[in-house]
Amino acid sequence: MGEIKAVGESTQFIVIKLGDEQYGIDIKYIDNIIRMQHITRVPKVDSYLKGVINVRGEVIPVMSIRIKMGLEPDVETKSSRIIILKLEQQGTIGVIVDEVKEVVTLDNENIEKMSYDSKDEKASFLFGVGKCEGGLISLLDLNSVVLENV
Amino acid sequence: MDVSQYLEIFLDETNEHLQNLNTQILSLEQDPENMDTINEIFRAAHSLKGMAGTMGYKRMQNLTHDMENVFSEVRNGNIKVNADMIDVLFQCLDALEEYNTNIRESSDEGTNDNGALIKRLNSIMGGGSGEESGKAASASDASKANEAETSSKDSEKFREIKLNENQQNVLKEADRQGKMVYGLTVKVQESCILKAARAFLVFKAIEETSEIIVSDPSSQDIEDEKFDLYFSLIVISEEKLDKIVNAAKNVSEIEDVVGGVLNMNDVNSAKEQEEEESEAPQEAAPQTSETPAKAAGETPAQAEAVQVQPTVQDQAPAATPTPAAKKTTANKPVVNRTVRVDIEKLDTLMNLVSELIIAKNSLVSASTMSGNSSPAVNEQIEYLESVTTSLHESVMKVRMVPIESTVNKFPRMVRDLQKKLGKKMELYMSGEETELDRTVVDQIGDPLMHLLRNSADHGLESAEVRRERGKPEVGSIFLDAYQDGNNVVIEVRDDGNGIDTKAVKNKAIERGIITPEQGDNMSEKEVIDLLFNAGFSTAKVVSDVSGRGVGLDVVKSMIESLSGEVEVKSKLGEGSTWTIRLPLTLAIIQALMVDIGDEKYAISLGSIQTIEDIAPSDVKLVQAKEVIQLRDLVIPLVRLSEILDIPSKKDPEDNLVVVIVKKGDKQAGLVVDELIGQQEIVIKSLGKYISKCKIISGATVLGDGEVALILDANTLI
Repeated sequence: MGEIKAVGESTQFIVIKLGDEQYGIDIKYIDNIIRMQHITRVPKVDSYLKGVINVRGEVIPVMSIRIKMGLEPDVETKSSRIIILKLEQQGTIGVIVDEVKEVVTLDNENIEKMSYDSKDEKASFLFGVGKCEGGLISLLDLNSVVLENV
Repeated sequence: MDVSQYLEIFLDETNEHLQNLNTQILSLEQDPENMDTINEIFRAAHSLKGMAGTMGYKRMQNLTHDMENVFSEVRNGNIKVNADMIDVLFQCLDALEEYNTNIRESSDEGTNDNGALIKRLNSIMGGGSGEESGKAASASDASKANEAETSSKDSEKFREIKLNENQQNVLKEADRQGKMVYGLTVKVQESCILKAARAFLVFKAIEETSEIIVSDPSSQDIEDEKFDLYFSLIVISEEKLDKIVNAAKNVSEIEDVVGGVLNMNDVNSAKEQEEEESEAPQEAAPQTSETPAKAAGETPAQAEAVQVQPTVQDQAPAATPTPAAKKTTANKPVVNRTVRVDIEKLDTLMNLVSELIIAKNSLVSASTMSGNSSPAVNEQIEYLESVTTSLHESVMKVRMVPIESTVNKFPRMVRDLQKKLGKKMELYMSGEETELDRTVVDQIGDPLMHLLRNSADHGLESAEVRRERGKPEVGSIFLDAYQDGNNVVIEVRDDGNGIDTKAVKNKAIERGIITPEQGDNMSEKEVIDLLFNAGFSTAKVVSDVSGRGVGLDVVKSMIESLSGEVEVKSKLGEGSTWTIRLPLTLAIIQALMVDIGDEKYAISLGSIQTIEDIAPSDVKLVQAKEVIQLRDLVIPLVRLSEILDIPSKKDPEDNLVVVIVKKGDKQAGLVVDELIGQQEIVIKSLGKYISKCKIISGATVLGDGEVALILDANTLI
């Protein structure tokens, strides 16, 4: 990924799949992408928190975006991955995705900010939609995805 | 001069001096006549001033300067120490601390001039000896200098400096131009570690106003630290002697600077003396300094002269061992045997050791898994195990620091409380040298402060009440620290009123924390435990010392976050004792690994009492709760599989494996499926993100790379 450089007014996203839909995660938050591994369950926590894993000696919590967004529970396949995110507030956290596809660079004019629709629960986790050759990508607003349920 | 590289040293030293001042001023308050203390304070203030000056922190320098003046007056007996003055001085220390914090954060001292404080300091001076105080101070300085000149020959080594012809020419030339020639002898404090650096700073300070012609020992030797406590200089300058001497004195860790005017006759006599004593340097000198001598004759090129001078000086002492030279060769520089290490580096080291232990555990599990347990492999693994364990122990030891740094501020705090609360009290401390992990020491300060304030505010009675009760008027608070096995115990004890359980109970009922019926059934201990409830404060008046309702519950949670525990014992009318128990180490513990369902959990060995094998028929029901009877004790059972929501794999007919854990004097039996064994585990935090789960205190990485959770037995009881 080193050869792709951020150009002026553009942002790089990693395209992932959850079910049939494509989602984009801003590359600056991504620390690592690892294969699915055994997740140690932590009792008495919210259902979207799947547990903790060991990444190079560090214990990192893992959450399911699917459950958080109200989709069907994850089905572990060969292409399942855990994306390790580094966020300013919540620290390091892993999210489970069905598949990691590619890295795209989106010019800012190709990013359409979402008009906030409170009825659509899924929409509150997005901050925009990106257009590129591969079709439309829903861009995840990581802070609201990771935010704890109150 | 670029001083940024000295910033860290400056901050460390300032802290030390401030702490020292705090302690000394406290003891001065007890014994206002003690000359040693006054001298010590004077020295510390003086060093502070010098350091601040060198670093260019003018406001800090001004404030310390005026503090120093006050002390110089006290030292000369012109003013007496009184309570008011001590108060002002403490405020000054607070202000200095503020400067220090500012500097640490932004390397800038801030803009607070503390004009009011300086005014008060000056008024103390004025009140003491009238308007003349300033003059008196300088006069006393001068008289001191005179005294030194006449009395102590030893400190006037500069008169013994031998000059070569070239240097004499330079001096004569300067004399002709109407400049003054001074001799200076600088004495470095015995405790000084970096003598060469201090000498360098003295050179720098002097060079601002004057030119250094000769130094003894040579500047090269000084740089190499080949000198004892003294070094002497001959300088030429247009400034007054006082100014130069003071500039040199302002360098910290300089004990004394003695200066005197050298007239040309002295110089000549020195030359004669030199001639008498030795021929060799005289012969050597002209050879080495022929050309510069000419140059000096034409233009006063002293700089060159200084450059040649080391060679000459090197030879001179060799030929004529003057007393000073003898000392320099006798004393080799003492190498300091400690190293300052950034705490982050230690953290990294600790993490690496943790990794190593995890790797070792993997190796152990790999060798047992493969069934390939040849004796040679086992032997090596055992060896590795003992090495990693001692490595861990040594790293832990490196991270241990005495709690001194934290508790040292308490005497001052108690003194302030005494003023604020109008009660008489005294703090007695012991065991300041007890060592704890650095992170614990850093965090234990606040809870301890809280307990002390609590004792001072709620515990101790006012002087009148104490007199009525036949107690000494001055209340005592004790802070004792000691090591007890794998724990460190810190006790805060007072001889005050103790906890009034009735008042606590009434308050709790009033606040709706308990019902009156509950209150009737509570034991004394349970009532005292109510104090740790959030939002509980029995002080009738909300004071600014304590009683805002955030108190003991915070203390408790802070100590528990350090894996410690806090206990109270109290007797009404006689006082109370707060006992804090902290583990020596935080990062790596011995734990018992257990199986529950499909999952593995760790239980800290520290909290485990025994492990029992109980037949299902021995489980009794009391108030619909399962209990077992063990050695005349009724112990409640906790079925972990239920609490952790895992289906147990065990047949209900089988005997139960019960791990008996204790917290204080309470016990509980944790029912597990299987025991795996004892293991050294590295505690990793689950992070902020999973903080809701109270029964899990952390996680650890097992040998096979999987994560196991650590059960917090305390929350299960």
